[in-house]
Amino acid sequence: MSGTLVLGGHTLASRLLLGTGKFADTAAMLEAVKRSGSGLVTVAIRRVNRQHRADDLFEPLSQVPDLVLLPNTSGAMNAREAVLAARIGRELTGHGLVKLEIHPNPHHLMPDPIETFDAARELAADGFSVLPYMPADPVLAKRLEDVGCAAVMPLGAAIGSGQGLATAHLLRMIIENSNVPVIVDAGLRSPSEAAAAMEMGCDAVLVNSAVAAAADPGGMAEAFADAVRAGRRAFQSGIMGRSDTAQATSPLTAFLNRPS
Amino acid sequence: MMNGKTNADYSVSAVVGAIESEQPNPGNLAALLSPAAKTLLEPMAQRALSLTRRHFGRTITLYTPLYLSDACSGGCRYCGFAADRKRPRRFLNAEERQAEMRAIAAMGIQEILLLTGERHKSVDIDYVETAVREAADLFHAVTVEVFPMSASEYARLVKAGCTGLTLYQETYDCDIYAAMHRWGPKRDYHARLAAPEHALQAGMRNLGLGVLLGLAPPVSDILALASHLQRLRRRWWRAGFSISFPRIRPETGGFQPPHPVGDRLLVQIVLALRICFPEIPLVLSTRESQILRDNLAGLGITKMSVASRTTVGGYQPEYAAEPDAGQFHVNDQRDIDTFTKALQTKGLWPVLKNTDAIYREPLSSTSN
Repeated sequence: MSGTLVLGGHTLASRLLLGTGKFADTAAMLEAVKRSGSGLVTVAIRRVNRQHRADDLFEPLSQVPDLVLLPNTSGAMNAREAVLAARIGRELTGHGLVKLEIHPNPHHLMPDPIETFDAARELAADGFSVLPYMPADPVLAKRLEDVGCAAVMPLGAAIGSGQGLATAHLLRMIIENSNVPVIVDAGLRSPSEAAAAMEMGCDAVLVNSAVAAAADPGGMAEAFADAVRAGRRAFQSGIMGRSDTAQATSPLTAFLNRPS
Repeated sequence: MMNGKTNADYSVSAVVGAIESEQPNPGNLAALLSPAAKTLLEPMAQRALSLTRRHFGRTITLYTPLYLSDACSGGCRYCGFAADRKRPRRFLNAEERQAEMRAIAAMGIQEILLLTGERHKSVDIDYVETAVREAADLFHAVTVEVFPMSASEYARLVKAGCTGLTLYQETYDCDIYAAMHRWGPKRDYHARLAAPEHALQAGMRNLGLGVLLGLAPPVSDILALASHLQRLRRRWWRAGFSISFPRIRPETGGFQPPHPVGDRLLVQIVLALRICFPEIPLVLSTRESQILRDNLAGLGITKMSVASRTTVGGYQPEYAAEPDAGQFHVNDQRDIDTFTKALQTKGLWPVLKNTDAIYREPLSSTSN
């Protein structure tokens, strides 16, 4: 994959995507967005409040130049609700890029693979560019690619858990086998974990809690941006292999070097 | 009692272990509620703040209650609406409901909690269903705190747009429960305990549990509440749960709580529950004082009522001067602007809209 990331026809210079919930106020959110350098931020339809500006996430973000808003369906418990939310998102943004999130349990917020698959198929057939939040399941990733998703968004760990790349070995399988961009979403706590995800070869990462819950969200957004750039650069530059033992001698294969 | 231990048996090191636990168990909750934890409120608060921020960010979800009626057939010793309290009874007619709902909506509130007393001939399931339907046109979230119902009745509320039920057991102590509830359907402890499951069977998306602090020894009540919650969560895994811990407030009947809970113990309860249930919303109402609310917001508490009136018709100017005449005396009487500004000053986002009217389908049962 080359320098820029294209999602749903939008060319993105930054490979850091930002979530916009959990901030203390609009100013803190906008500052974090700005300092993250992100060109794509996600907004929950449930937090769009057209009646009360001070509580609305959508309007202030839509004023930011060159920022693409990615509506998400968080709050939907099944495919029907998610499809409805996606359609509202398309009306609001004027484009068909949607982050599909279906968590039937409002506490652990783990994605429902069955409902997500059903909704993704329906939305992709309807012309949406679907970015599904999903368990780190390599089979599901291919099934979602097969029904026309524009990318897949496997979780590094549970939302808000800060457990980092707990699913690393599964993410590697997804990345190796994917024909669409792989965006690691959820669970990242620190910039080094974002760098690790990028070094692994994922195409982008999405972060919310780690930035919003930081003492200085703007500073943390910048740190994540640096880490994502560094991780990407490292991936492109070819990371040297790892070995647990020194390579000086080859006692097991030395016999091959004997003159015949 | 937990695993044969009494509340006093927990050591400081058990409390420290509980504060740091990555996978808290019922024993950890008991340790955090024990006397040994009283000296560790500050580290408990640090942990609670960190967990709250991780799971809820810097946000507080707001809602406002609407008392539809103070007509009540119940005989709760501690309640200003009890049938033997001498007071003019009223319930809102369609026009009055509209006026109240519009007044609340005009504040910018998007989540309304509709309340009634016990089932009454003029305030029955039809009445509540109609009120839910009306509210569902004006608010993104409509929840109820009403008399216990059958699953088929709850299903009617869900269909009308209701997404949450608040139903407190009041106390899990059977003997005290019997003494506090003198007559009426609420006397039946087990019927009340079963009602939350009726709502979940009917597809209610959210359930608020709680105990009325002051009625019974608080620690055992909180432990029983936690155990009730855990049992419900395993069975009804799709449902959202929240916990409230209302303290008995002065009311017109002059009831004196036999087990009063002071501020320090209330804070200990909030922190203990946050540490043991990091993802569960914890709710604090305007029963509590301004200083307590401002300091607990974000420190465990993630959902709060605002600008509440506990009098029927209380959002109309002619009743606004009667904060003491309702179900209980409202302690924090700040209006919405003052309260949201106080939250903002603390670096918290007062979230008025945290769901959407499109998310109202009944939750499906575990079997499909």
